[in-house]
Amino acid sequence: MENQKVVLKLEDVSKSFAKVETDEVTHALTSVTTSMESGEFISLVGPSGCGKSTMLRLVAGLIKPTTGTLTVNGKEIGDPGPDRGMMFQKATLFPWLTVYDNIAFSLRMQGKLKGNEDKVENMIKVIGLEGFRDDYPGQLSGGMAQRVALVRSLINEPPILLLDEPLGALDAFTRMNMQDEILKIWQEKQQLAIMVTHDVDEAIYMGTRVLVMDAHPGRVIADIEIEQPFPRDRSSREFVEYRNDILNKLHFAGKKGE
Amino acid sequence: MSNTPTSAEQPQKLTRQQLKDLERKELTPIQRFFELIIMILPLACGLIAIAEYLLIPDKGRNANPGVYLTCLIILVVAYNVWGWYTAYKRVKGDKTPYEKLRYKAPLFAALFLLLAFYDYLTLKTGILTQPFVPCLNFVLNAFWKDRTMIFECTIHTLWLLFLGYFSGSALGLVTGITCGYSKRCRYWIDPIIKFLGPIPTSTWIPIMMVVASSLFGGAVFIIALGSWFAVTVASMNGIANVDQDYFEAARTLGASSRQLVFRVAIPHAMPSIFSGLTQAMSSSCTAIMIAEMLGVKSGLGWYMNWSKSWASYDKMFAALFVICIIFTVVTKSLEAVKRYVLRWQNGGEK
Repeated sequence: MENQKVVLKLEDVSKSFAKVETDEVTHALTSVTTSMESGEFISLVGPSGCGKSTMLRLVAGLIKPTTGTLTVNGKEIGDPGPDRGMMFQKATLFPWLTVYDNIAFSLRMQGKLKGNEDKVENMIKVIGLEGFRDDYPGQLSGGMAQRVALVRSLINEPPILLLDEPLGALDAFTRMNMQDEILKIWQEKQQLAIMVTHDVDEAIYMGTRVLVMDAHPGRVIADIEIEQPFPRDRSSREFVEYRNDILNKLHFAGKKGE
Repeated sequence: MSNTPTSAEQPQKLTRQQLKDLERKELTPIQRFFELIIMILPLACGLIAIAEYLLIPDKGRNANPGVYLTCLIILVVAYNVWGWYTAYKRVKGDKTPYEKLRYKAPLFAALFLLLAFYDYLTLKTGILTQPFVPCLNFVLNAFWKDRTMIFECTIHTLWLLFLGYFSGSALGLVTGITCGYSKRCRYWIDPIIKFLGPIPTSTWIPIMMVVASSLFGGAVFIIALGSWFAVTVASMNGIANVDQDYFEAARTLGASSRQLVFRVAIPHAMPSIFSGLTQAMSSSCTAIMIAEMLGVKSGLGWYMNWSKSWASYDKMFAALFVICIIFTVVTKSLEAVKRYVLRWQNGGEK
């Protein structure tokens, strides 16, 4: 799977859910057509109910589209698999496994742990948790747990990395640290990364492309390339302009220009 | 030592014990004296119990008076040895054994007083009528005289208990896990549980006595049924309530549906499964006693009933103590296993 080039294509993808109590149907996502490829960092940003998480879960294969097709290198996406690593808002570390075993989980499930133990050890080193190798997740702080969750989904070196508001539950400082850590890993491996966030600044700071989405019905309303080299300056003129542009598209009329 | 941590310096690595010592307030001389008194208290109470036994004249006839006395002396000496051991450890720098003993010391003192008081009520004054409530010396003597038979009965009880408990629990795990995971399976098993569940296990005993070809087999069946029920319900709920997030995470990490059961659902349900196992153990203990008292022709329950019919109340009490001890040991062992398996739960230690 290493450094494999991938092209992810969404063609006229829609997803609707039946509401539990009433007979109504919610259109979580309506006819999205787009294409993404390795080396891109896509930020999906928008208010709640805009279908950004739905889109990510479709790519993961956790849910099936109502209409349309999703393909990776021309092959339709099936069940979830280790080629599409996913990180959730909650760390969802298995509380009965130690840090080491959590990171090794994926390799063990595929029967590939033998001979790859050093890979796991290496991942622990990458996130600087050597001292917590044999601890259980209950003993970790929120930031540490998310770091473990990140490398747990990276252990297979997936060509596609899905991030579902991975930093949403962290405090501001841990969050900024983690943004840089994720960027560093992505720059090294040049996967296709897709991240859901409701934080416009985060979307611009990390993304090479920002898909702006809106709700009722969920849809993509803008596809913006962020043409700024990393690392980015949150207070630069261009950064602020991108932010104003996106906020305007979402009708949160900020100050236009200066 | 010059390396007291200052604000600029990195705080040095501390062990738990060192941290505790750092934060502990120095005891005043009065408090120290008080601590010493508490540690000595069980010893004093033990001597009181011995003195009470030796000095106050017996009201009725006492036979083999040395047995109870020996036991008392053994207990006092044991406390003494334990106390010196903790003192030795404390000098070596390990305070944990001392603190454990210090915590238990008042209880031991109370135990000795209770023994003395009971002896006074029975042997010395007969306020509790002999031989219906026999003094401890009689009970100990009865136990010693009848030890082979009590031992055989104990083995029989344990064998019956384990046979029923383990077969029932194992079966309960299988049905519970299957039903927790498969809706179709739950559809068929649920009515059985709803219908049979509220019936207390002991209700089956008269039926078993009529139907079963061997009473032993019948008793095993009843104990197993009770365990099966408790474990099935607990593990079914445990599996059915697994957080969907864990399944999703495991699926994106490449777990097959088989692995979802064995690597995610079952470990996640373990706390619930263990509460079922504990409940099954207590219901098994109840069921076994009732079964032995009503029908089965061996075991401690039977022995108690049998001694009663011969008016050997001392034997009856001896069996009672043995029952108390083995059930405690069994329950404690189960708890130890649980603590080990669920060690990830007591994580908060920092």
